[in-house]
Amino acid sequence: MSVDLDKLFIYPKHWVDEDARSFSTTIRQWADKEIISDRLNYQQNYTLLFPEKCRKLGIDIGLKRLVLSEKYDGYGWNSPSYAPAILTAFTEIGRGDASIGLANALDYAIFATITMHPNIKDDLCDALAPLYLSDKLKTSTAILPGAGINDRKTPLFRGMSVLAGIAADDNEYVVSGENLRPFGFGKASDLLCVVCAQSSGKICLAFVPADISGVKKGLPIKQTGLDASENTDISFESVRIPKEYIISRDGAVEELYVWLNLLLGGVSIGAAMNFFEILTEWAQSRTIKGGIPMKENPLCASVLATVAQEITCARLLCYSLSQIMADPLALRGIGGESIYTIARMIGSSVQDSALNALNRGMELMGSAGYAREWHVEKHWRDIKTVQSSLCGVAADIPVKMDIARFFYDCKEVCS
Amino acid sequence: MKHFDDFSRPLEYISPMDKHLRTVIRKWADEEVLPFRRRFDEDWKEHKLIEPAFDKLMGNKGLGLQKALFPEELGGWGLGHSDSTFMTSYALSEEVGRADTGMAVAFLVTLWPLTTILIEPHVNWRLAKEFAPMFCNSDCAVFSALTMTEPQGGADIENIGLLGGKTLRTTARLDGDEWVINGHKLWPTNSAGVSKLFGVPCTTKLGSSDLDDFAIIFVPTDTKGVSEGNPYEKAGMAADKNSDIWFEDVRVPSWYRAHGPVLDAQTFVEVIPWGQVASCGFLTGAMLNLYERLYEFVSTRTYCNRTLKENDAVAGVIGRIAGDIDICRILGHEAARIGDRRNMPFGNELGSEETIAKIRNIKDFISDKSVEIFGRAMDVLGAYGPDREWDIEKHWRDVKIIQLWMGGKQLCQMEAARYFFNCKTL
Repeated sequence: MSVDLDKLFIYPKHWVDEDARSFSTTIRQWADKEIISDRLNYQQNYTLLFPEKCRKLGIDIGLKRLVLSEKYDGYGWNSPSYAPAILTAFTEIGRGDASIGLANALDYAIFATITMHPNIKDDLCDALAPLYLSDKLKTSTAILPGAGINDRKTPLFRGMSVLAGIAADDNEYVVSGENLRPFGFGKASDLLCVVCAQSSGKICLAFVPADISGVKKGLPIKQTGLDASENTDISFESVRIPKEYIISRDGAVEELYVWLNLLLGGVSIGAAMNFFEILTEWAQSRTIKGGIPMKENPLCASVLATVAQEITCARLLCYSLSQIMADPLALRGIGGESIYTIARMIGSSVQDSALNALNRGMELMGSAGYAREWHVEKHWRDIKTVQSSLCGVAADIPVKMDIARFFYDCKEVCS
Repeated sequence: MKHFDDFSRPLEYISPMDKHLRTVIRKWADEEVLPFRRRFDEDWKEHKLIEPAFDKLMGNKGLGLQKALFPEELGGWGLGHSDSTFMTSYALSEEVGRADTGMAVAFLVTLWPLTTILIEPHVNWRLAKEFAPMFCNSDCAVFSALTMTEPQGGADIENIGLLGGKTLRTTARLDGDEWVINGHKLWPTNSAGVSKLFGVPCTTKLGSSDLDDFAIIFVPTDTKGVSEGNPYEKAGMAADKNSDIWFEDVRVPSWYRAHGPVLDAQTFVEVIPWGQVASCGFLTGAMLNLYERLYEFVSTRTYCNRTLKENDAVAGVIGRIAGDIDICRILGHEAARIGDRRNMPFGNELGSEETIAKIRNIKDFISDKSVEIFGRAMDVLGAYGPDREWDIEKHWRDVKIIQLWMGGKQLCQMEAARYFFNCKTL
């Protein structure tokens, strides 16, 4: 049985215009044709097929053009008002493959900090847009604040350590840092968006092309999920970048987090929705107790209900976030305290819900839950990898501290 | 607290062999497994790295643990007539599980079908003598499997209290002095060509729920008509191979049946607690290793420029994790002790509703806690949580598998409800 996911997992469609819905339908068709119907082959030949699938989505369908204005031959979705539309698109990508979702979420979130109204940074757009839209597929990644190292006092971004440093030198900036962990795609990345600290402690974003002298990539890291997002630690040995490659305005790092929380929320919800499809087929074709369809057993039905409940609520929460982002001026910008806090709160909750949906639903599938053949375990590993990476460090404590500061006006707690 | 050994366990339950066994297995783990286990995932099909470690654990050129259940006079250790069999098995499960739960299950499952013929009071001496050389005289690891799951019924076969084996489609027909076996099994641990011996639950009368018709028949895997598929690829547990198995007119001597009518069903019911107690050991073993790795991370990394473990909020998270490990370890030992009490005046039959319900209940609880705390620990590591170098993600993948196997969570809940609420129709 094929299910109409949008009729089941309802969302406020009037927040997404006709063009955007049509674009998302195209992505759904891409996911069905390129990945879901060819899942086993895709899984077995991941390294080979991943770039091809990404190319079809990014270049042929044009996902990479979304965030750029018409001036750069983009689709002009470079306004926060497109947040619900973007979320819809990323949910469809996640339904196909979370690794492709992460690759594009990183691209979109990073470019949003320079292309998005009202903070368009023309000089950097002029420099990066032509490279980004070349025929060769480009990959970008972010190096975010995270765990610090004992006995080393570091500048902090909301309690998390900023391990990359940056200093002005004539008309350039010099970036330094050792063994920094990107969010993903460290190995393949062409562009690195690095959260850096100046000697004054001020935090900024540095855009570092990966082919610049002094950028050193380490050995590949084996990780739980997102198998195609081959990661590695990256060091910066006095890497020099033009001064326009820096964004030091207040709220820029927060914006990056807001977009990542929204888009990766969509990716994980999409993955969970594909799991729902698989589980639905399983629950109606399997019998228990010698002949009763699984879904007709009250205990199994209650677990199935939990799965649907988690996905539905998470999706609605994510749309609420997107709609709040769509009108940011009322809340002092996407990088403002309100939206940042809400994004972190909802982002954390959505990842929890998506993972819980998988964890609970897998209970009904026995060995099929962990067999590669059923593709469930892939979604489960991918969502967990997104969740842990999004945490940065210390589980959800940094998010809790953000929330506490915002709601209770805490002045000193972990800042 | 300085060491994972300090996590609680009821010391009065501990078997005399405990300290010695743990010491030698820990040495084996440190030398043969821990230096290599981050490469085990890629070795899931070939077992080039994994096999030598098994030989050192199970075969005579190493610790020789595969012969543990066999009587001393047949070359074994006589664990089958010990009053501490469960507790000793728990220690083995926990120590091997700390190193690698996939190895732990492959090793313990080798003993699993043998429990039906080697544990007092159900020792089948003729079969013990028949199979002792296979396990006791080998320098290398020798595996066996208990082939339970079938395509149509999943874990229904374990629900013998309700279904009486009526969903079994693997049949055994007596032809002269031989059993002729036909059927198809899925997923047994140690399949895909790993085992030398299968214990095959089957029925002598298709569709029957009469326990007289339930049989466990031993089948050497080189018997004509036995075929196995390629190993399945899984989320974790690379050291445990699983595949399809087909039996096509497989003939074995009639005395290869474990016992006979009724007693076969009884011993099959009794294998469930063995599997559940071992599962608890695998889980708490993995938890002990989680503690070791998490301790290192939270002691060397910072949040707010304070060592992670010294931040009150982070301490709240890791404190809960440690507390859960402590509680789970006590419960795991209690589950093992419930099993060992079967031989005591104040104990219950191993196959009793109470024993099965309580042991399943503990396994269900520890499984849930494992899934929860490994997930939380990965999040504490944040960007390093999914990194295989920190080992926790490997256990996270493995413990989920343990939660799901043997009928999974729902069957545990049903057994608990039946016993504690006197349910009649579940």
